Amino acid sequence: MSYLFSPDNWEWLWTGNNARFILEGFLINLEIAVISIIFALIFGLVLALLRLSVLKPVSFLAGAWVDVFRNLPLIFLILYFALGLPQSWKQAWEDAMPSWAPEAFQSGLVLGAFMGLILYNSAVLAEIMRAGILSLPKGQGEAASALGMTRRQALRYVILPQGLRRMVPATVSQLITLNKDTTLVSIIAITEVMRRGRIVTSSGFFGDVTAPILQVFIFIGFLFVVVNYLLSRLSRRLEIRERKITGTKLKRVGGLEDQVAADPV
Amino acid sequence: MIDVLTEHWSEFSSGWWVTVQIIAGSFGIAMVVGTFVAAFRIAPNKWLQRLGGLYVEVFRNIPLLVLLFISFAGLRRAGVDIGPWVAGIASLGLYTAAYVAEALRSGVFSVGKGQIEASLSLGFSYAETLRRIVLPQAFRTVIAPLGSLTIAMIKNSAIVGVSLLALPDLLKQARVVSARTFQTDETFFWAAVGYIILTGAATLIFRALEKRFAIAR
Repeated sequence: MSYLFSPDNWEWLWTGNNARFILEGFLINLEIAVISIIFALIFGLVLALLRLSVLKPVSFLAGAWVDVFRNLPLIFLILYFALGLPQSWKQAWEDAMPSWAPEAFQSGLVLGAFMGLILYNSAVLAEIMRAGILSLPKGQGEAASALGMTRRQALRYVILPQGLRRMVPATVSQLITLNKDTTLVSIIAITEVMRRGRIVTSSGFFGDVTAPILQVFIFIGFLFVVVNYLLSRLSRRLEIRERKITGTKLKRVGGLEDQVAADPV
Repeated sequence: MIDVLTEHWSEFSSGWWVTVQIIAGSFGIAMVVGTFVAAFRIAPNKWLQRLGGLYVEVFRNIPLLVLLFISFAGLRRAGVDIGPWVAGIASLGLYTAAYVAEALRSGVFSVGKGQIEASLSLGFSYAETLRRIVLPQAFRTVIAPLGSLTIAMIKNSAIVGVSLLALPDLLKQARVVSARTFQTDETFFWAAVGYIILTGAATLIFRALEKRFAIAR
């Protein structure tokens, strides 16, 4: 305990640019999370619609795809894409990345990290969206077709606007999980907050003050707890609002840590 | 395709076994600690509730990788060397325990208030009510979320093996084999099979439990 709270062991935080260096790294994590969730939402919607397709082979293939990517560890996917992508793809990424982009995005390995994060999260979000769409009462779709809408029109104007709205709270809590998962890209040598933490702990990076590993990573953990706690409050609030508006109960989606999806009552 | 598996069978099987051991240890810790935290959260004492709430918020919002860095490298530098096995299993267990506690708590709350009132008015004591009325019903509703948590924990075990802890689990062995053979696709395919077997087994077990304890309607 005395080691943990001794002022000598926290001096690094006020010395040099240590705190700023770590905070900038944390910002890179948030950027990775936001970029990934945007693409994952798009691909997730496509996968969910394919899975709900009336064509049996299409829905079977989409279901198999989603189940495979949902059941593999994310770190496994990131490592596989970092190691397994052709060199030419990584080179193309490095050439295409503008010079003003953060330094961490310049490495071709980031492409592997993004592919892993997006494929995994799009599978997860596809399942959340499917649950949201299926949670609508059947009468909604039937009423739409009784009004003479085609299936496409019914989806576009009746089903998706309602189904996807129910998924907003679950998507925010998925963003929390994704936010934590961005630390995994440090394994493939991308200098985000974890790598920067290691750099700070290596002696004499900024001045002669030693930065103990324990304190540095407690500080990094604290950053995540604060941001994710605020996100979870937001998610809770959205969930309550949604329940008030639609009067639905919430049901958990299988295979996820803490996901809830709307359930027909 | 199959020759990568047969030639490096010892690496794959030992890695798979290490993964199974990590999962088993963490599952035990997660259940025990999760039950205690859930008990704290529904305890009549306000400070115990807050303590339980603090545990859940901290361990649910911190990345597992940060926990692993703190518990292994951080503590070792501080002069407390608990070794990679303890650090890995404890981190994964404590991390999952926060989710288990939330699942158990919502299970207890899912039992209707009328049930408890009816039981108390029939003359059951508070402890008897909990043991005979609340917990058997809560257990049923909690099986499905616990299954999801177990699957998530199986997937998270890969983080334990691959981070700085020197635990040769399935993913780490797959990296070793792929570095030796340059057959990345084949090696990772077999490792994926290993993980799907584990998550698939967990899915089937929890589905069977759910069916076994389902309420007849």
